[in-house]
Amino acid sequence: MALKLFKKDQTRAMIDRYSWAELVGIYVGIALFLFFMLAPFIEGFLVSLKPLAQLFSSPYSFLPENGSFEAYRTMWVSVPSFGRYIFNSLLISTIATIIVLILVVPAAYAFARFKFKGMAMVLAAFLAVSMFSGAVLLIPLFRLMRTLGLLNTYFAMIVPGAAFLIPSAIWLLRTYMMRIPIELNEAAYMDGASQFYTFRRVILPIARPGIIVVAIMTFIGAYAQQFIFALTFNSKTEFMPLPVGLFAYFGKQEVIWNELMAASFVGIAPAMVIIFFLQRYLVGGLTAGAIKQ
Amino acid sequence: MGQLSLKNVVKTFGDFEVVKGVSLDVHEGEFMVFVGPSGCGKSTLLRMIAGLEHTTDGDIVIDGKRVNDLAPVKRGIAMVFQSYALYPHMSVYENIAFPLRVERAPEDEIRKKVEAAAAILHLESRLKQKPGNLSGGQRQRVAIGRAIVREPEIFLFDEPLSNLDAALRADMRLELTRLHKQLGATMVYVTHDQVEAMTMADRIVVLNGGYIAQVGAPLELYHKPQNTFVAGFIGNPRMNFMPVKCVAVSDTGAEIDFNGQKLTIAVDVPADQRTALIGTKVTLGIRPEHIAIGPGDAVMTIRPTVIEHLGQQTLGYAALPDREENFCFVLTGTQIIKDDQDIQVSFSAADCHLFDVDGNAFERSVELSAMTVPAQT
Repeated sequence: MALKLFKKDQTRAMIDRYSWAELVGIYVGIALFLFFMLAPFIEGFLVSLKPLAQLFSSPYSFLPENGSFEAYRTMWVSVPSFGRYIFNSLLISTIATIIVLILVVPAAYAFARFKFKGMAMVLAAFLAVSMFSGAVLLIPLFRLMRTLGLLNTYFAMIVPGAAFLIPSAIWLLRTYMMRIPIELNEAAYMDGASQFYTFRRVILPIARPGIIVVAIMTFIGAYAQQFIFALTFNSKTEFMPLPVGLFAYFGKQEVIWNELMAASFVGIAPAMVIIFFLQRYLVGGLTAGAIKQ
Repeated sequence: MGQLSLKNVVKTFGDFEVVKGVSLDVHEGEFMVFVGPSGCGKSTLLRMIAGLEHTTDGDIVIDGKRVNDLAPVKRGIAMVFQSYALYPHMSVYENIAFPLRVERAPEDEIRKKVEAAAAILHLESRLKQKPGNLSGGQRQRVAIGRAIVREPEIFLFDEPLSNLDAALRADMRLELTRLHKQLGATMVYVTHDQVEAMTMADRIVVLNGGYIAQVGAPLELYHKPQNTFVAGFIGNPRMNFMPVKCVAVSDTGAEIDFNGQKLTIAVDVPADQRTALIGTKVTLGIRPEHIAIGPGDAVMTIRPTVIEHLGQQTLGYAALPDREENFCFVLTGTQIIKDDQDIQVSFSAADCHLFDVDGNAFERSVELSAMTVPAQT
C-alpha cells in the first residue's frame, strides 16, 4: 500500500499504480536529480546572505550566521551602473527575440506548407549552421564587425546572437506548423482568402502556442549567449550586458562574492518575470475541433 | 444558374493517371452523387471541380464558361470538407462569417446572413461557442453554414458524413436532402457509401478506376446496371455472379443452361451478335434479395456455411464449387434454417441479369418506369 499522501490505489488507472518500493525509488531519484540541479543556486543564494568575512572563515558554514539582505543594498552602491547592465541585457535579448520572430514565423510557415526546389538542402544547411556555436566563428565575426565599423555598438551584440538562434527556431516552429491541418488552408482558399490573409487570420492564431515557445527559447538563448558576443565585440561600459557587467564586482584585490551573488539573482529576476508572463499564453490543444482526428 | 459540365477531364499525378477522361453534365439544381471504391478518382474529380487541383487535360465548364484556371471563389462554388476544416480559434459565428469577412462585406449584412444560415441549420444557440465544444454533427453543420452563407450556385461535398456515427449520419442525410430542396442549388456529393448515394441522389455517377462506369438515377442503376462493376457495387450484399452457357437467342431473350435447367432471360441482344453468342460463356447475375426458399424457375441446392439472423432479414452464405466468392442470399423475416445443412433455394428468371464475357450487360427488357418513382416535374 502506497503512502496516504498519494491518490488511493482504487482511483488510480492501472497503468499508474506503483508498489511502495517503486514509489520510494522514483522520489529518491527525483530528489537526487533536483539536488544536483539546484545546489549551485542554493549555495549562491546562501552566499548572497552572508557577510563577506564569513565566506572565508574556517571551518566553512553553509548556513549564514546573522545573515542579512545587506548585500542586496550595497551591490547598487559598489557598482552604480548595475541597473544599466540589466537594461542592456533585456534590450539585447528582447530585440534579438523580436528580430528572430519576425524572420522565423514566415520562414517556418513557408517551410511547413510550400514545396520548392532545394527546400531539403536549405533546411539541412540551417541545421548545419546551428551545429557551430558562436564561439567558433568569433574571429571572422570580429574582423567583419571591425571592417564594417560596428564594434562597440548594440548592433554587434544583437545581430550575431539573433542569427545563431534562427536555425533552431525555424526547425522548432516548422514542426509545430506542419501539425496544423492543410484542410484549413484549403477551406480558406475555397472561401476566397489570399495566402497572406489565411496566414494572418487562420495560421498565426492557431500557431500562437508554438510561436510563444519559440519566443521563450529565443529569449533564453539570447540571454545566455550574449556574454561571448559582448565580451568580444564591445568594450564600452555603458553597453555592457549583465553577464559582462558582473565583472565589475571583481575588484583589484578581492572579489565581492556576496554582492556578486546578489547581483546575479537580481539580474536574472526580470528575465524570469518575462518568461513567466509569456508562459501564461501557452495553451495547448488550440486546434481542438478543427478537424476530426 | 448552376450548370456544370466536365469535358473529357483528365488528371495525372506524375505518371499516374487518376482520372482518365471523364465527361459529364450536371443539370441545374441537381443532386449528383459520385460513388465508387476508394482510389477510383472521385475525390480528385471533386477537388478539380472545386479548383483545389489543377486539371491536367479537358475542360470544366460552369454556366457555359470555362473555369479551369479560375480560383474557387470565382467559380461560384463552395465546398464542405470531410474533416470539417473549421477554424478552431474562431467562434461558430466567425467561422460562418469567414467568407463574408474575406469579401469585406458590411457588418450588418454579415450579421443578417450568418443568422439566416444559422437558422437554416439550427445553430442559433451555438453561435458564440468554439468548434471544440461542439458535437460531430454540429461541427458538420457549421461547415455547411460556412458554405451556404456565400450563396454559391454549386455545392461540393467531400464525404461529409463519413466521420459521423451511424445514427447521426441518418439524421444528417435527411437534413442535407431538406437543405437541397430548400436552397435549390446544384450539389455534387462524393461518398463511398452506397446508401447515401441511393437515398440522396437525383443521379449517381459510379466511378471505377478513373472512368465513369455508369451514370443514372439510383433505381436505374439497381435495375439496369450496364456492367458487372455497377451490378456488384450497387446493392448490398453484392449481386451473385455465376458462369452459364448461352444455348439460344431469340427476340424474347437469351436462353441459357444453368446446371442443366433451361432458363430464358428477358434481355435485348442486338441482332448482329445473336449467332455469335450461342454456345459461348456468359455471366448470370442474381441479387441475394431475389432468392427464395423452395421451388421456382431455377432451383439450386446449397449448403450455407454461415447464417446471419438479423430479425427483419436472414442472410446466408454458401460456397459454390469452383467459385471463390460465396453465394449469398437474403430472405425476409426470421427463417428457421441452420448452417451446414442442405437447403433448396430458387430464383425467378425475371430477376436475372445477363453479362457478356467482357462484363457488359445485355439490357433487360423491363419497363423501368414500372419500377422507379416517377420523375418530379
